[in-house]
Amino acid sequence: MLAGSVWQRELVEFSQRRRALVIKLLFPLLIAIPLLFSRAPVVYVAMALTMLIAIIGALGAGAVLTRERLLGLTVRYRTLPVTPGRLLLERLSINAAIDLLQLLPVLLLIGIRHPAQIAWWPALLLTTAAVLLIGNLLGAVASLLSDSPGEVMLYVFIPLLPVLFLSGVFTPLNDPVLLVASRFLPFSYLHEALLGALGGQPNLLLWETVLAGFGFLVGAAGLTGRLGRRVLEAE
Amino acid sequence: MKGDTASKAELLKAADLSRVYRGGKGVFGINLALEPGEVVGLMGPNGSGKTTLLRMLATASTPTSGSVSWFGNSNSREPSVRRRLGVVLDQAAHFEQMTGYQNAWFFAHQFGILPELARGRLDELFRWSGIWEARDQLVREYSLGMKRRLNLVEALVHRPQILLLDEPSLALDYRAELDLIERLQLLTLTGTAIVLATNDVHLAERLSDRILFLHQGNVIREGRVPDLLTELAGSKEVQLQMSSPVSLDKVRALPSVQAANVEGDTVHIVLARGANPAEVLAVLNGTADLVSNMRVRRPNLGDVFLKLTGVALPATHD
Repeated sequence: MLAGSVWQRELVEFSQRRRALVIKLLFPLLIAIPLLFSRAPVVYVAMALTMLIAIIGALGAGAVLTRERLLGLTVRYRTLPVTPGRLLLERLSINAAIDLLQLLPVLLLIGIRHPAQIAWWPALLLTTAAVLLIGNLLGAVASLLSDSPGEVMLYVFIPLLPVLFLSGVFTPLNDPVLLVASRFLPFSYLHEALLGALGGQPNLLLWETVLAGFGFLVGAAGLTGRLGRRVLEAE
Repeated sequence: MKGDTASKAELLKAADLSRVYRGGKGVFGINLALEPGEVVGLMGPNGSGKTTLLRMLATASTPTSGSVSWFGNSNSREPSVRRRLGVVLDQAAHFEQMTGYQNAWFFAHQFGILPELARGRLDELFRWSGIWEARDQLVREYSLGMKRRLNLVEALVHRPQILLLDEPSLALDYRAELDLIERLQLLTLTGTAIVLATNDVHLAERLSDRILFLHQGNVIREGRVPDLLTELAGSKEVQLQMSSPVSLDKVRALPSVQAANVEGDTVHIVLARGANPAEVLAVLNGTADLVSNMRVRRPNLGDVFLKLTGVALPATHD
């Protein structure tokens, strides 16, 4: 299989790593199945799945880009006749799409387990895609600070955990200022979509979550294009 | 010789080019012009700035000051500029989970080569470089030499007008190096200009029209290869392999000694025309019994550099 474009190359490389492919597909299911088929309160299931989705997005891209920088591939990217914005957007978009594919069985299980809440599924899909792309972007920025693929975890978790807290993922936010702040963070909408899809009690309406998911997805794509030079041409 | 048949238009021009890193190291005030078919060699010890300079010329790094223009265009991010450059960087960076052919195909496509054209060119280049049999092997299974050959394939597939090569003979065997020299010589006849960062004296002497000697980020000498070698015409280099360390103060004081340097257990001494190597041994009288091997050979670019700086180039060939 030959790949000429950046996104095709990502797909080819991904499909050729058979063991990684199996682990990547099974890992979210191993976490999600016990959660979805137990009597765990919806709010805890939504919290755990929000964290899972955020971490999957951020860690993959961060580790891969750090490894590529150490190998000298990032320097080679700079000699290609492609703008860095397009290159990063293609890379992170396809990585996020692969992550979404990895999480699709989990999302399908949610739909099967809670068929009455199927109306929330589009919101869940959109907010998951947005969080994955933003997570990939966070990982890409974290890779600039890291000297090893392991170290990138540290730089991903440092901003991710407080942001998840501010999104109201861990505890409901009663303070009006924090509540407003949470609406600027994509994780809060994913959390709401999960609450809705799992039969819980979301604080937002369905259309608000769909709109926010779409907005964050487009915004993340735009930001990725703009940060291309900063991420790929940092020396 | 190569510039005579091509136009004198400059393909590449660097003016007062500097790149300064934290701590003050880097390259400073480099001026360089490259004509079609011309080969310019950059030589200097590790840390002299060859790679830094080559990266700037290859658009992979941004200068702190000064400017570079390629084909009259000074925008390093311009795709039409990058499409006409072929680059082999110091690191043999590839996508390790993909085969050699998949890697080369990807880069060929990135440089705008159509699939049917890419197939023909890649087949020829893989055969030429000696990695045809390994084309469907994952790159992570390649040796360093194979990865460097793959770098050459990827740099040549789009037939660039300027080749920027950082240690292209690194990890190549002698046969492969001769093939590389032959290929590059043919390319210069078609007008391809080459910048060659290397410490491989054999490669530099065979290919380069001009040499820039870099030391601590500065060009300390520039000249045509025959002119540089003429400076040492008639002189010879004596290599003494020592079984224990030796002081060279007395040797350096000899009028016939143009340069002397220790590299590992080997002493390199450049002697002036007509000098007798026995003079050196006489000075080292008390320690001569420590000489385990002695060789005398004609001087090369490495000796010119040694004479200029007192520092030996690493891994120079005889």
